[in-house]
Amino acid sequence: MDPFRYVFYRDRKDWSDLEPVPQDDGPNPVVKIAYSDKFTDVFDYFRALLKSDERSDRAFTLTADAIELNAANYTVWHYRRVLLQALNKDLREEMRYITAIIEEQPKNYQVWHHRRMVVEWLNDPAEELDFIASILSQDAKNYHAWQHRQWVIQEYKLWDSELEFVEQLLEEDVRNNSAWNQRHYVISHTTGFSNKDILDREVQYCLKQIKKAPHNESAWNYLKGILQDRGFSSQPGLTEQVLELKETHCSPYLLAFLVDSYEDTLENPTSNHKELLCKARELCEMLAREKDSIRREYWMYISRSLESRYGLSGNPDSAATV
Amino acid sequence: MAEDENPLAEFEQLDFLRDRHVRFFQRSLQVLPERYSSLETSRLTIVFFALAGLDVLDAMDVIDKNNMVEWIYSLQVLPTEDQSNSGRCGFRGSSHLGLPYTTKGPGVAHPYDSGHIAMTYTGLVCLVMLGDDLSRVNKQACMAGVKALQLEDGSFYAAPEGSENDMRFVYCAACICYMLDDWAGMDIPKAIEYIRRSMSYDNGIGQGAGLESHGGSTFCAIASLHLMGRLELTLSRRELDRIGRWCIMRQQSGFHGRPNKPVDTCYSFWVGATLELLGVFQYTDFERNRNYILSTQDRLVGGFAKWPDSHPDPLHAYFGICGLSLLGEPSLRKVHPALNISHRAFEHLQQLQRAWRDACT
Repeated sequence: MDPFRYVFYRDRKDWSDLEPVPQDDGPNPVVKIAYSDKFTDVFDYFRALLKSDERSDRAFTLTADAIELNAANYTVWHYRRVLLQALNKDLREEMRYITAIIEEQPKNYQVWHHRRMVVEWLNDPAEELDFIASILSQDAKNYHAWQHRQWVIQEYKLWDSELEFVEQLLEEDVRNNSAWNQRHYVISHTTGFSNKDILDREVQYCLKQIKKAPHNESAWNYLKGILQDRGFSSQPGLTEQVLELKETHCSPYLLAFLVDSYEDTLENPTSNHKELLCKARELCEMLAREKDSIRREYWMYISRSLESRYGLSGNPDSAATV
Repeated sequence: MAEDENPLAEFEQLDFLRDRHVRFFQRSLQVLPERYSSLETSRLTIVFFALAGLDVLDAMDVIDKNNMVEWIYSLQVLPTEDQSNSGRCGFRGSSHLGLPYTTKGPGVAHPYDSGHIAMTYTGLVCLVMLGDDLSRVNKQACMAGVKALQLEDGSFYAAPEGSENDMRFVYCAACICYMLDDWAGMDIPKAIEYIRRSMSYDNGIGQGAGLESHGGSTFCAIASLHLMGRLELTLSRRELDRIGRWCIMRQQSGFHGRPNKPVDTCYSFWVGATLELLGVFQYTDFERNRNYILSTQDRLVGGFAKWPDSHPDPLHAYFGICGLSLLGEPSLRKVHPALNISHRAFEHLQQLQRAWRDACT
């Protein structure tokens, strides 16, 4: 007899006491999935275990079979956690198990939630940063991975090496928006952005990355993001630097940044009000006409709004603009 | 041009194949092959995509509405006689737990039977689309079920056993409260706090505080605020403008969900609907958006995929069609951008709610 041939649960002697429970969709099933015999067998026995809330090793073993067939079944995972605790199972072994499953199915919600539960029970995040780094090396933007990473770092205060990790990822791909987000996350939870030296450092970092890859929305979003509520003018000389970049490293994001900085200045009454409004509207026109034509209608709308809000005539269609 | 090249390759085929999509949705309502097994616990959401798709296509006549209504009611988790499962009621995603088929109460006690917030949401929406009057829904039990799922930080779990918590389930909770016209199931100020804390430095909204801003979570947040009637109370003009800017920058041809990611048909709805709620969808490039969505249309089997030359699925079929509806595609019904149902179904809901209010006075 071949010891490796799969045996249905219904044919296993040590399961003969259990009555399998089929699914019941009534007379008119909708979106019925056509399961194979093997699939049906495993889950008929799963349903039987659930019904009596059996707490046993055989139940625990079955959950692994069920997970292999459908790792998205959140009830199987919940039941497995109940058993892990009821049977006092080896959680280190469970970590090995969940590590393997996540490697195979890194975009499944249930597996990441399960891992988080096991890490919490062990109260040990030691493997997490390396593990997540490994998943990110296969897909650097996996939202689940980043979410788990932020949770681990915050929960266990593992901030120390994270900025370094982020910089490494940005070295590999300066357009990785998830990495830029993580940069903001780390700094806001550690040094914060209020310190002038930090803010300067971050502004310089952005400009450096922009020079390397000008057409990068992530870098510009970060630059705008750290300055927009502190006032763009809080960085003296920045507008001039950006105007220089406009000649050699132009992009729709650069131009939009200028529009936003001009608007920021316009909010506080200034002497060269009219000139700034004019410049801002010209930029909107440039964006609409050629630099960001997919958003043509939007930039025309922005131009009209600017005139409406800051124009002295109050007529949004004034001046030779859109 | 070489003789053996496809002469149509030069032409983008931009015709909307309505009848194919009707048949695509009809087929998804029947039997699916085993490779769809990961959808077992969320079969009700597939029903939603198919019914809602047919509704927007104005093709619900191909459905046996009564049969469907009965099947959906069989998924309701009702209170047991001893009320031992209060706080666990709502709708299931499918019969995967093996409870005996029944469309009426009282509930049957089972150690692991409970509702799932996304299934309660889609269950209710499907019933509304099917013209049901929700009279067999135990509204109090549903509300208690939703309330039990809200965390201290204002977000929601999906199920009472515990699960992840994020903006998706805030949206599900908001839809349930909106449809049942009862916000007792939600601490609104806390939910609003969660939404505010999820706003990112780049003016988009993430799944939670600190997380990367994303087209899906941005929709969930803005749509939820709209359903609560708090959009303009919660967000300043400047904030609304900034979110609008983040959203409109998502258009590349169609839309993507995050900066520097590839476009995907479903974001034509997630981001498009958000832009509509913010009043600036009119400023997007309709032609490029439409062209992208249609490039993901499967001309053979119907439906839409996330990308061109990829396999269609009910989710992308539904959101592709909704994306086209937002653009004013002639053969399609209009879609309510926050509640994500056709205006026809929305009107039926409003009638129901009027009747409920009249019954109280």
